[in-house]
Amino acid sequence: MNTNLKISNVTKIYPGCVANDNVSLEFNSGKIYALLGENGAGKSTLVKILSGVIIPDEGKIYLNENNLNLNSPLDAKKNDIGMVFQHFNLFETLSVFDNLIIDSDEQRESLREKIDSIMKKYNFSIDLDIPVLNLSAGQKQKVEIIRCLIRSPKVLIMDEPTSVLTEQETSELFLSLKKFSEEGILIIYITHKLKEVMQLCDEVAVMRRGKLVSVSEIKNENIESLANKMVGQNLRTIKKKKAKTSSDQLIKITNLNFTSEDPFETNLMDINFSVNRGECLGIAGISGNGQSELFQVLSGEIISEKKSIEFNNNYIGDLNPQERREYLMAFSPEDRLEQAAIPQMKIFENVALNNFKSSNFFNNGLINENKIKEHSKKIISDFNVNTDNIELKSQFLSGGNLQKLIIGRELITSPDLLICFNPTWGLDVGAINYIHETLIKINEQNKSIILISTDTDELLKLSDKISVIHKGKLSKIMNTEEVTSEKLGILMGGAN
Amino acid sequence: MIKIVKRDQPSRAIFFFTPVLAIFLTLVAGGLIFFILGFKPFEALKFFFIIPIADKYGFSELLLKATPLCLIAIGLSFCFKSNNWNIGAEGQLTFGAIVSGGVALLFYEQEGFYILPIVILAGAIGGMLYASIPAILKTYFNTNEILVSLMLVYVSKLILDYLVVGPWSNPEGFNFPETRQFSDSAKLPLLFEGLRIHAGIFLALAAVVISWFVFYKTYLGFQMKVSGFSLKTAKYAGYKGKKMIILVFLISGACAGLAGVGEITGPIGQLHREISPDYGFTAIIVAFLGRLHPVGIIFASLVVAITYLGAETAQIFMQIPKYTGQVFQGMILFFLLASDYLLFFKIKFIGSKK
Repeated sequence: MNTNLKISNVTKIYPGCVANDNVSLEFNSGKIYALLGENGAGKSTLVKILSGVIIPDEGKIYLNENNLNLNSPLDAKKNDIGMVFQHFNLFETLSVFDNLIIDSDEQRESLREKIDSIMKKYNFSIDLDIPVLNLSAGQKQKVEIIRCLIRSPKVLIMDEPTSVLTEQETSELFLSLKKFSEEGILIIYITHKLKEVMQLCDEVAVMRRGKLVSVSEIKNENIESLANKMVGQNLRTIKKKKAKTSSDQLIKITNLNFTSEDPFETNLMDINFSVNRGECLGIAGISGNGQSELFQVLSGEIISEKKSIEFNNNYIGDLNPQERREYLMAFSPEDRLEQAAIPQMKIFENVALNNFKSSNFFNNGLINENKIKEHSKKIISDFNVNTDNIELKSQFLSGGNLQKLIIGRELITSPDLLICFNPTWGLDVGAINYIHETLIKINEQNKSIILISTDTDELLKLSDKISVIHKGKLSKIMNTEEVTSEKLGILMGGAN
Repeated sequence: MIKIVKRDQPSRAIFFFTPVLAIFLTLVAGGLIFFILGFKPFEALKFFFIIPIADKYGFSELLLKATPLCLIAIGLSFCFKSNNWNIGAEGQLTFGAIVSGGVALLFYEQEGFYILPIVILAGAIGGMLYASIPAILKTYFNTNEILVSLMLVYVSKLILDYLVVGPWSNPEGFNFPETRQFSDSAKLPLLFEGLRIHAGIFLALAAVVISWFVFYKTYLGFQMKVSGFSLKTAKYAGYKGKKMIILVFLISGACAGLAGVGEITGPIGQLHREISPDYGFTAIIVAFLGRLHPVGIIFASLVVAITYLGAETAQIFMQIPKYTGQVFQGMILFFLLASDYLLFFKIKFIGSKK
């Protein structure tokens, strides 16, 4: 039976922002639809409306000509709309089976049979009786999908499903999705990754700033055309020139270990690497494999053995971040809003977080506000932060502008080494481009970068050498030319 | 229809308006309570808030009560601003009083200009020592400072109890639980003949000025602000977190200790069991009512001091238990927290058209 889902004139307004502006779309089963857009384009809002989490201000949803009243996620379930969120909604300590049946009133035995047959049909192999916390991200996602399939949904919505998956898990997921589609389930796939859209989908709807920009068939599109639609302007494609190979070693990590008392942190085991001047070392991995700990050890938030880190011929393993900055290191942490900057503080106050003796922000324990403000103005103009008011609280900067401010703050002192962790996470394409250009420029000035990132494309684009971190261990360091994203994916999954 | 909408940005005006609103609501609710108890609300409120400070003596008493509140609250704001929850100012006050009282007793037969400074210093050191316990336990053993500092309050009160009943009790005191009277050289000078207001108020004012300078003009103040917003950021910036935790606890302890000194060398003049009507706890309310801002704390300490006086007046003239004062203090905090909701949300009245 054919399924037809129609969104008609949906509008949702939040204070100060129109999340969905009169959006109308129509979907038919048998096809896989992509809903494409940058962060903040309104795709999540639209999906939440479809799954009953948010109630629209105006507009209607029709499933097979029936007007749906979706007032809660339960209503969506009753109307055969299944949804797999980006963040899993599973009880980690319960068994897989208990997680699957938790919202069902059917008999356990008959459900077990049903689940077994679903797993057989789609070739899923998951032990139903182990706790969910023992599963990999890909398996957890399968559990979520099975939970939807139990209800034989007509519509299955996937929200950014690949952000936690390896390359291999991603291709498995795509195979399953194609199979579901052949069986008549209408699939709506939300993403901002263009490559995936090209690989998987049949039709693509692009959203920008709450508005539907275009609906088209994939065969009439390519990555560039979609990117331009998504951003609304023509983007320069940036490419890194091959760096002159230098053999001048800047930082060397030797036998570095970190054992955490916190069971939710990852221990680092026997980390060894070195970075030369003018080089960018990329560290790939699925999030949660020790990247955050590695960043903290490198920045000095976690102190390690003095001799484990040698920088510019000094042993600095036992120094804190401020002391390391004096040796010309700079750091850009992953969490912009809770670590790299304080949203409630003004721009110039955030600039003062990166404090050098020579910058004279604080003289004899007193704040030298004029000096800080002067410095802040320079950062704002040099790094294209879109404001001219340094008294503005940083919470009013967009993610992209805040990241520019942070990178600018770290770079304006021209450090020898910049360590950044997911520098473009959650940014729009324009800001990503700017950050990438900036990072390439640093290398051209013979300065070095350690780029810890979960975005494989970014790593392949910017790094000269790449290593993969898996469960706190680094793989051997490879030249980027010899690496493909498939190979990285295998290493990220833990295989050799 | 009324709709509650999240504010795009917390409003600066509201930030200073909510304490005023909280006080107003406290008055309304207080009036209501008096009404239910069978009093005329306006008259009762007049006894509570106007009569006590209507004359010179009353005003002096107001300043006398506001002094320790202000001093302690200033000290606490160092802790609270930097995300350290020192709840035990009452204990630091008591311990400061014990140490300075002990020193004062050493000099009980002597006169000399040097005695008072030593006594005051001893009180500050006593408070600092006592505050250093939760600070050190927190930094080196990861204990919770709220629990440790709070529990230490009761320890200090028991120590005081033991001392005034046992070894330090006045040999000529007919076994009353109190020490000898301090000599005049160990007492803070009175400012006016016949009024109890004493020189301790200058300590409080000095604390206000110094804290303002530290908060807004120094690197330490900046570090405290950053740590208050995000400890992760403080770590990333490379601030020495442990050093700062200990420092703010010491400052806070010193202030509470000084408040203790002010009480025993001012109006009391000796050590006995009840040297503080919970100033150390009430000062927490003062600190938040004053928005952790030195000037705000001055006003807040005056407002809260009235509840102490009013409770006494009401007890005398209306036979209401003096614990009504604590009811008022509780209501101020309650309404302050409630009206802080307005910082982040606004109430919108929506007409019937739609």
